[in-house]
Amino acid sequence: MNDARTPTENDFFLRAEQITKVYSDGTVALKEATLEIHPNEIIGLLGENGAGKTTLTKILSGLLPPTRGRVISPKGAVHFTSPREALDFGIGMVHQHFALVGTFTAAENVALGFERPFSRLQITKTTEDLEALMQESGLQVPLDVPVEKLAVGEQQRVEVLKVLSRNVDLLILDEPTSVLTPLEVDELFNLLRRLRDAGKSIILITHKLKEVQDITDRIVVLRQGEMVGDVKTADATTERLAQLMVGQAVETDIVELSDTELPVRKVLRKVDRTKPSILHVENLTALGNTGDIAVNNVSFDIHGGEIFGIAGVEGNGQTELVESLTGLRVPTSGQATINGTNILGLDPRKIYRLGVAHIPEDRWELGLVLPFTLAENAILGVHRWEQFRGAFSVLKWGKINKHVRELMERFEIRASGPSAPAKSLSGGNQQKLIVGRELAKDPAIIVAAQPTRGLDIGSAQYIRQTLVDMREKGRAILLVSADLDEVLAHADRVAIMYEGQFMEVCSPDQLNREKVGMLMGGVTAAKETT
Amino acid sequence: MSVTEAQQQSRLLRGVHRTLTGLHPALESVVAALVGLIAGAILMAAWGYSPWEAYSALLDGAFGGSYEWSMSLSWATPLILTALTFSICLRAGMFNIGAEGQMYVGALAAVGIAYFSLPTGLHQLVGLLFAAVAGAAWSLVPAALKMMRGVSEVISTIMFNWIAKWLALFFVIRILVDPVRAEKTVSIPVSGRLPVLVSGTSLSYGIFVSVAFALFIYFLLWHTTTGYELRAAGLNPAAARYGGIRNKRTMFLSFILGGVAAGLAGATIVMGMPPTYAIFGGMPQLLNMGFNGMAVAMVGRNHPIGIILSAIFFGGLNAGASWMQIKAGVPLEMVNVVMGAIVIAMSIPTLIRVFPMIAHASKNLLQTLRGTKKEESA
Repeated sequence: MNDARTPTENDFFLRAEQITKVYSDGTVALKEATLEIHPNEIIGLLGENGAGKTTLTKILSGLLPPTRGRVISPKGAVHFTSPREALDFGIGMVHQHFALVGTFTAAENVALGFERPFSRLQITKTTEDLEALMQESGLQVPLDVPVEKLAVGEQQRVEVLKVLSRNVDLLILDEPTSVLTPLEVDELFNLLRRLRDAGKSIILITHKLKEVQDITDRIVVLRQGEMVGDVKTADATTERLAQLMVGQAVETDIVELSDTELPVRKVLRKVDRTKPSILHVENLTALGNTGDIAVNNVSFDIHGGEIFGIAGVEGNGQTELVESLTGLRVPTSGQATINGTNILGLDPRKIYRLGVAHIPEDRWELGLVLPFTLAENAILGVHRWEQFRGAFSVLKWGKINKHVRELMERFEIRASGPSAPAKSLSGGNQQKLIVGRELAKDPAIIVAAQPTRGLDIGSAQYIRQTLVDMREKGRAILLVSADLDEVLAHADRVAIMYEGQFMEVCSPDQLNREKVGMLMGGVTAAKETT
Repeated sequence: MSVTEAQQQSRLLRGVHRTLTGLHPALESVVAALVGLIAGAILMAAWGYSPWEAYSALLDGAFGGSYEWSMSLSWATPLILTALTFSICLRAGMFNIGAEGQMYVGALAAVGIAYFSLPTGLHQLVGLLFAAVAGAAWSLVPAALKMMRGVSEVISTIMFNWIAKWLALFFVIRILVDPVRAEKTVSIPVSGRLPVLVSGTSLSYGIFVSVAFALFIYFLLWHTTTGYELRAAGLNPAAARYGGIRNKRTMFLSFILGGVAAGLAGATIVMGMPPTYAIFGGMPQLLNMGFNGMAVAMVGRNHPIGIILSAIFFGGLNAGASWMQIKAGVPLEMVNVVMGAIVIAMSIPTLIRVFPMIAHASKNLLQTLRGTKKEESA
């Protein structure tokens, strides 16, 4: 390795010492965390949801004050009371949800924050500076187009430019790859490497193990607010990192992760395709919210005992396809049947009666009524069941609560009780609640959209196992996920969706990472071979 | 060591947090009421009245004895119902401003029972039924416009209030007019009146109608599938649709229920208000009862039980106002000022957080002041 990169005693940019953070509701988010940041280094901050990654970076970037502990630089202790002070010191953060004004151009967005009261905005100067910066960093974005018209990857570049234009020395990126195509991820990583070699420090927050091993020099693992590992990337194995993160050995008999290979399924299951399929979709076309064609002439079948996976970068029609099949969107043409009964144009209630369970992509907007209690959410959609309803539609709360307690036990939903507000549950427990509710319907087919997104490894594993169990029971499962490994490891057949169409439908063992990456990016295998 | 310390601190914080959030809604209403009363007091003091004298007279006039209590409850009777109109629709996710108009129409329908005779008991029931149906019918048009054409219910209900007002005046002056006394409508015969509960006061059996309807709504909202669907649709329409709930149907239902409540409010006024049991030319007994119901609903936190309590509070304000005028010389209208201030205070989100903020700011200010003083003395 490069000599310049080996840290010495006083050669650090910033050091967080014994940071403890207690939120006003009493949650201890960080316990005496210590982190030293050197120049010329990319640090991976790894941890499950709620491990304290975001809290730590928020403290470093001046968004939150620590309850105890201090942040010091070689020149002494530093106290940031606002992100602006941190920026002036040289610390910039790119958040997971971009902070861009959609109707402003890239240049205007970058100028935002430079402006001072009662002075003229210097857009021309900013534009010139930006052009120079783009040359220097190799980040290219159109400057005169409103950012809302840009692709997500481009928007992220604007965010990075915004921070770089402040001449930061420490760049913090929160889950930067979750919205990017594989190609865009490569570009981002190349940029980060260049920045590192130019002397910057970078902190990358993620829970993707592979990424962190790809690009970082050092990996810091947080678990429940405590720093449980600080290792050189070269010395870290995937198993070790996963173990540090969850605190126990992760089950790896389904998947073996390696750098270049796909997760390999040890046994490929045989699906009986002689019987008629449960879900049959033919030439389905549906429009998106903007009126463009979102789902373009898609056909497929799912049999009992089969997981049909749809992979692809988000926003390529997966959402609209799921909505069309669950009654939330009316497709423009095509056919879809469940056990021979047409479902297109039916409302969700009727579709559910045909045996469809739907684990929605957006659990806050669609899956839950957040102000409702656990019990109220647990009966959403099944509240008219005979067992919950007496004469005059009176709800039998006693029976409902009993049912909820059973669900809590069976699906390991951790909450104070059936009357806890759904808002108070952690993301993992909210998702388990939805999964439990949907599976309690005893469905013939389960439509699971991004079922493990944003969940900690434990909850994600649990939910995947639940889906696998349902497959063993002969149910048909449609698994839509942006997590490629998840789809490849569990699906019996995989479709890769790009711009509303299936690029390829095949068995997962016929794919490799490179091929999937190209298909996700819209490059067909045919083009590659010719 | 510092971690255990932090954990101890966190346990304490969590406890305080839970207590505050648990009491939150009720506390906020009480604080808003206090803010309103204080604002009134400041105004009174500015105009040279004694707030203390005025408020003690107000309290005396509102809850000083059984007569005063009866009058306050009599005021509360229609307010409970018009507040429910607003709250039911709000629970379903809509702003129904139409209680006023629906109440006028309900009152007209109730006067209609003066034209036929029925045995006591049945006559009152028919009156209530007429009013409920009329109120519901008046809410149907805005509901249908909303569902079929997406017309904002705020606009349409406000417009329907005006239509109802002039329609009612027309009916009062031309159609239902008393042939003997042209300043009022025909009077409802004894068989159709809601009997007076406390003699010498205007408190009638109407209070039972109001409270029963509030309890019915409470039961409906929290103990039936219909109410469950209504609340789900109001809190998260997308999730409700996902859960197989037909949002349009729940919307429609909430409008009908609201119309029934407002219609009944009109009925309790004309059928239970001695001595004339009729509507007067300018509709003085009816005017603003629907709008004031919205204030009652806000302070009652859109919960049927909270509404009963807040209606009694507002009823007390109204009932005590005249005594305040007589005894302390403060104009009646001061009560409206207080009510307005309460509504504004209620509209400030997370009102009680204002106080810690003020405390914090003043502490900082004191510190800087002290600091500068020290510097000056040094």
